[in-house]
Amino acid sequence: MADMTSEKPVEQPVPKPTGQGRRLSDRQKDIIQKFAALGSLVVLAAVFSATSSAFMTVGNGMTIALQVTSIALLGIGATYVIITGGIDLSVGSVLALAGVVAALAVKELQLPISIAMLLGILTGALCGLINGLMVTQLKLPPFIATLGMMLIARGVALQITGARAVSGLGEAFGELGNGSLFRIESIDEQGFPVVTFPGIPYPVVLMIVIGLIAAFVLNRTVLGRYIYAIGSNADAARLSGVNVSRVTAFTYVVSGALAGLTGCVLMSRLVTAQPNEGVAYELDAIASAVIGGTSLIGGVGTISGTIIGAFVIGILRNGLNMNGVSAFTQQIIIGLVILVTVWIDQLRNRR
Amino acid sequence: MGGVPQAAGAAGTTVPSVLLKLEGVSKEFPGVKALSGVSFDLRAGEVHAVCGENGAGKSTLMKIISGVYQPNSGSITFKGETVQFASTLQSEAAGIAIIHQELNLVPHLTVAENIYLAREPRHGFLVDRKKLIADARRCLARLGVDIDPNVQVRTLSVAQCQMVEIAKALSLDATVLIMDEPTSSLTEQEAQLLFKVIRDLKAQGTGIIYISHRLDEMAEIVDRVTVLRDGRYISTDDFEDLTVDDIVARMVGRSLEDKFPEPTRKPGEEVIFSATGLTRRGVFTDIGFDIRRGEILGFAGLMGAGRTEVARAIFGADALDAGTVTLDGNELKISDPRSAIEAGIAYLSEDRKAQGLAIKMPVDANLVMARMAAVASRFGVIDRKRHREAGQRYVDLLNIRTPSLSQPVRLLSGGNQQKIIIGKWLFREPRIMFFDEPTRGIDVGAKFAIYQIMDELAARGIGIVLISSELPEVLGMSDRIAVFHGGRITATLTTRDTNQEEIMHYASGSGRRGDKE
Repeated sequence: MADMTSEKPVEQPVPKPTGQGRRLSDRQKDIIQKFAALGSLVVLAAVFSATSSAFMTVGNGMTIALQVTSIALLGIGATYVIITGGIDLSVGSVLALAGVVAALAVKELQLPISIAMLLGILTGALCGLINGLMVTQLKLPPFIATLGMMLIARGVALQITGARAVSGLGEAFGELGNGSLFRIESIDEQGFPVVTFPGIPYPVVLMIVIGLIAAFVLNRTVLGRYIYAIGSNADAARLSGVNVSRVTAFTYVVSGALAGLTGCVLMSRLVTAQPNEGVAYELDAIASAVIGGTSLIGGVGTISGTIIGAFVIGILRNGLNMNGVSAFTQQIIIGLVILVTVWIDQLRNRR
Repeated sequence: MGGVPQAAGAAGTTVPSVLLKLEGVSKEFPGVKALSGVSFDLRAGEVHAVCGENGAGKSTLMKIISGVYQPNSGSITFKGETVQFASTLQSEAAGIAIIHQELNLVPHLTVAENIYLAREPRHGFLVDRKKLIADARRCLARLGVDIDPNVQVRTLSVAQCQMVEIAKALSLDATVLIMDEPTSSLTEQEAQLLFKVIRDLKAQGTGIIYISHRLDEMAEIVDRVTVLRDGRYISTDDFEDLTVDDIVARMVGRSLEDKFPEPTRKPGEEVIFSATGLTRRGVFTDIGFDIRRGEILGFAGLMGAGRTEVARAIFGADALDAGTVTLDGNELKISDPRSAIEAGIAYLSEDRKAQGLAIKMPVDANLVMARMAAVASRFGVIDRKRHREAGQRYVDLLNIRTPSLSQPVRLLSGGNQQKIIIGKWLFREPRIMFFDEPTRGIDVGAKFAIYQIMDELAARGIGIVLISSELPEVLGMSDRIAVFHGGRITATLTTRDTNQEEIMHYASGSGRRGDKE
């Protein structure tokens, strides 16, 4: 590091008790934590490739990536909110609402698909804004505010669709969820398509682009710095001149907008909008953030960690499926993984 | 005082009985020698002060005595037997109780429930409430304090909470009581009550280990003083054989000629900031004062007199009901801290950890927090080079001791944390700075450095307000002193024409000796 001061703290051979017993700097701990999560990811992949020949293929890789996108997108939003010390329980419902709004806009209002999906994302952002205002203006605890939103958004989604799936949206509606970038395809002499490279699915492209932007904002901008500062000490941030309400509300808007986007992607994949889509997705989102090292107390968390966390969950599901493990057992295993990861995190931070 | 204490455990002898004895105790953490070869003994019925700068090893020593840490070498003898406490539960069971600086009470339980938490008297599965309250009442009566055992702890003052903690220790039949900075948040009267309780406990044969930065108050109660420095044992003496300056000299390892730096500032006549008629209903009334160029204005008064509240209101952290503030003759409109900062006002809060610092964040991030725009592009992207340079500049300027700019500030000492807060505001280039208890909980050497910084800032034309509960500090550092009582300024005095007695007179509100300005 170039920013070492020449002066060593000679005056204080005894660190503050909080730092005692550990010689690792927080930065080192951070790296270890990240490699621990990444390491478990590699171990998982190795185990599953050994137990199932179909696991380690380009096709399955793409399947996993596709499955992971929704968790990762919601997880990015969750990371923003959780770093400020909040929580967003509404994303599963909000994505359903956003998805059906987009679908109804196409079907009932005959709006172009891009406009309809933008409307879906805006619906999500609006839900997020309402969450943010409830937290910052009405001073409701985030858990309660977003729990309310979870019920309301789901209720509205069921209401406007009459609890029925919206289908017959046309093939173009499925492009976002099913299309891919750089797909290489040719037609052989019998007239069948031959896929040389399946391409990178659009949802995966979205995840990468949004992940990079989200990480940049968090690490390299004033806004990101304020998000961390609020989670670390909201009073100190306010007394330093940070507009705490606005920045906090912003994180809920991000979470809501990403839920809206996820809703559009999911509905597009099925080319059908289900008002019952996304139940309990908020828990996957929070789990991915937590597995990735985000602290529910606030002030700590990274986007890269969350993406790794999302992949841990996605690979577990996929690999267990391929090995014919029942859905119930899968839940048990994923539950245990969350508990063990957070426990390890606690050990790491114990003093 | 200082005579032969009553020997509770050794009737018939004149030798004071030693309750607790540590010999050659060392404690190492990986790479750090926290304590090396420290010896210490505590007699029944004495108050034994342990002094040292932050990081001298006081806390480590107390943690070894109470079983939080186990020593690497050395022996501990308690009531004549060699002991090895593996946990605080064991030391408590043996009769050693510690009262932490941060009180450990459950706010929503009653006083009685707190005293007997996890040790409630029972009728089978049920708590015997009658006995619980009767026992609690007895404990409190032994302290001679008037606290209702049925009220919830959250309704009590800090001083009362402390009494509850002491009652809890007594209920454990503690013969050794460790008090860590017990008076740091008490008013003068509350501290007097605490001292009375301590004297009673002494008379009952309890041995008390007393840790405090406020050397001046020790004369009231302390019998012996042990000084630690850099994890090493320096000396143990009867308190009456030492002066406060002797103790300080041993703590810092050099003699301090003066506790306060020679002023370099030259107060002028030009008023740069003035407040008139400031009122916040129920908190303070009709506050008016001026700050002149190059001067330090002291705010003296007892806790709760309204000094902090006035500063917070000027800073926009709390609302004002009436009054105006002007800077360089222009009236300021302040609605929140952001507009105050914009106008050039800085407030260094009295509660560093709760209000001043983002303690999980690195040194440089805290230093630039109040002026991010200066280290970022127009679009809010942080310029890492400027960010690092700004951080380094203030680390160098204020001589902040940190291994790197990326060190989380929670790992730094109190003095260095305070310097970071000062640095944060200097980077903002304020016109007026309110220092609220800037040296609380900070060791002697760091205090001097902070006084020097304040003087230099004043010399550069920044208006400084020093809010302090320590009168010697206000007298040593201010040019003029506004004395607060009950939410009003009762006098504005010129420092060289006044003294501690006169200030106390106005601060206690005992009449107005002719209106003096």
